[in-house]
Amino acid sequence: MNRFILVALLALTVSPALVSAGDTGTDILENSCSSCHDLKGPAPQTIHALWKRDAPDLFYAGNKFQREWLIEWLQKPVRIRPAGVNYLRTINSTPINQDVSKKGRKYDVLWGEVLKPLKHVTLNKDNAEAVADALMQLTPNNDLTAEMALDDAQDVDLDSGELLIDKVYGCLSCHQIEPGYGGYTGAELYTAGKRLQAEYMLSYIKRPKNWDPKIWMPNGNVKPDDLQKIANYLILLSKEDFNASN
Amino acid sequence: MRLIKLFFAVAALAFITTPAIQAEEAYLNYKSYCMQCHGMHGKGDGVNVPAMNVLPRDHNDNKYMMTRTNTEIYNAIKFGGQSVNKSIKMPAWGDTFTEEELHQLVGHIRTLCCESEIIRGVNFK
Repeated sequence: MNRFILVALLALTVSPALVSAGDTGTDILENSCSSCHDLKGPAPQTIHALWKRDAPDLFYAGNKFQREWLIEWLQKPVRIRPAGVNYLRTINSTPINQDVSKKGRKYDVLWGEVLKPLKHVTLNKDNAEAVADALMQLTPNNDLTAEMALDDAQDVDLDSGELLIDKVYGCLSCHQIEPGYGGYTGAELYTAGKRLQAEYMLSYIKRPKNWDPKIWMPNGNVKPDDLQKIANYLILLSKEDFNASN
Repeated sequence: MRLIKLFFAVAALAFITTPAIQAEEAYLNYKSYCMQCHGMHGKGDGVNVPAMNVLPRDHNDNKYMMTRTNTEIYNAIKFGGQSVNKSIKMPAWGDTFTEEELHQLVGHIRTLCCESEIIRGVNFK
């Protein structure tokens, strides 16, 4: 009986991998993505391991991303984190001849690869869909997202949301809420609402450590109500057209 | 006899290297978490500074830092700026660092601001 249960459990855990084994998406992931992205997990457990990360971990992509966004992004990849995935490699000490006339104060600057357009594999529509499908099957953190649910009845507008992001929790120091407005070391927030699943946003903001044990995003001790408001704000913000003013 | 000597040698080595390892860990933690705002050299000139309406503390500012106790620095890191009547822009890192790492970070900040006082044996409380 015990052996039967063991076999059944093994079959359950292995079957998603078997089903997709022949898929183009999985093949592309294995051949083109796995050299930079971690597809297996777990997330880095030490700070030394974290600094070796070359690209975002994808082993929980199915818990994190929205499929439609993935398909679009894979066809036209652009940078999401202004300072790159590993900011230690992309920050240079305050230049000696820095122009301080505008800000009146010197500060460290970005340098190197991160100032150039992102180098990333570009896929055609069919392959992008196949890869997105393969990524959406990677869901080891279902338990974390299952305990979260978006309350879209929360009353939030762009102004009150910005107030939370800037003045109450200080997220703006590291994250941008429109192109060029905000810090550099975090991921851009103006696309978060269409890039990420609501449950992921809620869970990650609540305790980033649960997803990425050594990540440099602090636990902001966000109140449950505010957590819902921030997630709703990010979804609202992602519907803005940021190219309109350019 | 030789064994006893060996024991003392290992103990002495451990005594010398442990603080060095701890200092390296604290330096690495500072570089990984604090640098983005407080700057590569802790001068309050991090890469995110242009986006901030409250400037991060300059940890090299000996005059100001000498007015802060170790407990205050510890609380600012663990519970955030608000806990020491400073800006919310300094987040609480209590969920990120262990108690040991927090104390090591306080020590690291002291080396940035107050090296001559450390050598003189000042009690930072």
